[in-house]
Amino acid sequence: MTRREFLYYLWAASMALSMAEIGGAILWFAVPRFKPGEFGGVFELDVTAVPPPDTGPKAFDAGRFWLVNLGDKDVTDANLKEVAGLPYAEQQKGIKALYKICVHLGCLYKWVPTNYRFECPCHGSKYLPSGVRIGGPARRNLDVFVIEAMDASGKVLSKTEARFDGQDGTAIDITGAAKLRINTGQKITGSPNSVPGVA
Amino acid sequence: MSLFKFHSPFLDDIKSKGVIPASLAKVNETVERLTAGLDIQDIRSMLRGDPAPRPNPRVKPHADSFWFHMRPTYYHNLVAGLYPSFRLGWFSTYFFFFETITGVILMFYYTPSPLVAYENMLNILGNVPFGRLMRDMHKLGAELMVLVVCLHMLRTFITGNYKKPRQFTWFTGVVLLLVTLFLSFSGYLLPWDQLSLWAVTIGASMAEAIQPEAVGVVANLLLRGGPQFNANGLLRWYLGHVLLLPLVGFIFLGVHYYKVVIHGHSLPPEGEAVGEDTAKRVPTDQRTYFMPDVITRELFYFSVTTFLMVAACVFFYHAPLEPHADPLVTPLHTTAPWYWLWLQGMLKVGDKFFFGVIMPGIIFNGLMVIPYLEVGPSRRYGDRRIGLTMGFITCAVLAILSYMGTARYAVSSSPDQEVVAELLPQVEPGPLRESNWEELTVGVWNTEQYSDASLNPTMQHLLGVYHEELEHAKSNPKCIRENKCLTDGEGVMTIENWQDGLKKITFRLTWDGGPGTDRVCAPGAQHEFCQTAYLHRLSNYAQGE
Repeated sequence: MTRREFLYYLWAASMALSMAEIGGAILWFAVPRFKPGEFGGVFELDVTAVPPPDTGPKAFDAGRFWLVNLGDKDVTDANLKEVAGLPYAEQQKGIKALYKICVHLGCLYKWVPTNYRFECPCHGSKYLPSGVRIGGPARRNLDVFVIEAMDASGKVLSKTEARFDGQDGTAIDITGAAKLRINTGQKITGSPNSVPGVA
Repeated sequence: MSLFKFHSPFLDDIKSKGVIPASLAKVNETVERLTAGLDIQDIRSMLRGDPAPRPNPRVKPHADSFWFHMRPTYYHNLVAGLYPSFRLGWFSTYFFFFETITGVILMFYYTPSPLVAYENMLNILGNVPFGRLMRDMHKLGAELMVLVVCLHMLRTFITGNYKKPRQFTWFTGVVLLLVTLFLSFSGYLLPWDQLSLWAVTIGASMAEAIQPEAVGVVANLLLRGGPQFNANGLLRWYLGHVLLLPLVGFIFLGVHYYKVVIHGHSLPPEGEAVGEDTAKRVPTDQRTYFMPDVITRELFYFSVTTFLMVAACVFFYHAPLEPHADPLVTPLHTTAPWYWLWLQGMLKVGDKFFFGVIMPGIIFNGLMVIPYLEVGPSRRYGDRRIGLTMGFITCAVLAILSYMGTARYAVSSSPDQEVVAELLPQVEPGPLRESNWEELTVGVWNTEQYSDASLNPTMQHLLGVYHEELEHAKSNPKCIRENKCLTDGEGVMTIENWQDGLKKITFRLTWDGGPGTDRVCAPGAQHEFCQTAYLHRLSNYAQGE
């Protein structure tokens, strides 16, 4: 190799490197910067805003969540047979704040009172009021936001925790609570839930 | 006197030949320069249909002019007509330019901002002269371009034209197919209606499924321009639609067509011996020259297609515009455009990373490398049984998957909502909105009155559809099995004069006795479903026909 040839290779390599750098800079430029804004903040609700048990969910559009109050009927829903044997088949009573976005491909699932379940209009994922997936192409239960139930003095009585391996939020008991703080910046993803044979 | 020497050959000509002959010669010379080699006599001889003189002056522009140097001097007789290529490549190019022109015209009245985009659409549709025609043609052209490009690919596959030495031409063709699909899809977001927002949300969410997760998250953010679609996202998709994708398209179209011209148009398989490539050595008695025969045909295709596009959009086809985008409501029965339905079908059955990222990756990469895999020298159908069989199986699978992508498969909602959605769909105008506003009679109407001859045709039609859908829902075997049928279901349609020129239409379905007459359409009611629509006299969903 002559010195001239070597210098050409060196030059080519440095050009390739600077092209890669420019590409990286363009990507970095294009990644949006955003403030979380209202969504992502903490929503404070009075307990009177909570729907009665077993009456289906209530929508809170600004925080993009459904508030559900799971009662005796919800935790023994016949559709739970779809997930029989899986850990979350055993349901807890109490309230949950479900993130409104379908965990499949980002559509907004909706509440269908006649079928008493959530259904996604895009690809047909189905969820119980507790957020458990019972059908369709989604591969996990719904995501939930962390709720803190506080008494009148501001003392935290109960708080949504992850049930399994940092996933699937608990339903919390709000007896004696006066206020709820729903933190839409803190999301607990649903447990993987892919039942073979269920379409 | 000779300080400034004045040159004017034209004046000299006039002096020597006279004004008229010199002027005619000048005109002739100008024509010859403009056509890069053909003077008036040459052109008239072509128009008269004279045989080409020898030496043939009609090949000169192919050497000297920019536009004609891109076109072959002659075609083989076997490929000069509509059969066997159906000129699908030519038609793809036609639509590419057709879309560019109508698109640029539409840009005059369009601003890519969620604040005004939808209003711009209404302005284009209702106020700008020929605005709706332009939009209809742009949309119809986009759909046809996808169709023509897919057929072009299918035809090339069937006749095996992608075999050596034309593999790379096919490769660039697959890139052009992707450009076409994404061009068409990126145009979806621009009107900022419900269809736009949710079709593109699903598309971006598929990018989010890319593994590892960090890559998916960044890809999703890059496509959406933020955590959710908004001004940034719309601007990005607009720039992609009007700049980036057309640019990539022009570049690859150049490469693709250059390859077509240097390799020549491949003959039909039965037109030459196995292993032979006649395209570059066309015998002189088999040639159809570009001028005047091929160019005449192309001008004919151009005229007829343009006429049909205009006529179709004036009389038959109107691009839909749905309600304004609403980030809080996903409409029932949202579907992808028809050419992506196979993907939506796959996404309904399985994992989004596998079916939304891996499978499309395999399919499109597989398409690109087919010519490097199918290396048998013969293009005869009988020698390509495996390849052709796999091709047709693929087409059949795509058709089935496309059916699975429609709203009929696996996304039906509860029977009560489905009945009302037949009359008042959320993704298209539907029977109620398209009906004659004047004939919507104020009153409370039961589905049983559908056969009442005293009603006007509009009411009879609407109640008929309502009745039929209700009966259909009651007899649905699946809901009978699950014991969730609309037992004793009753359908009522209430029409009220709400304001001057505005009617309120309420569909109310009750079953199992319903909530009783004192609680009509109260929130949270059991055994009842209500949906309301407001229609203005000038809504014009029927689009004037």
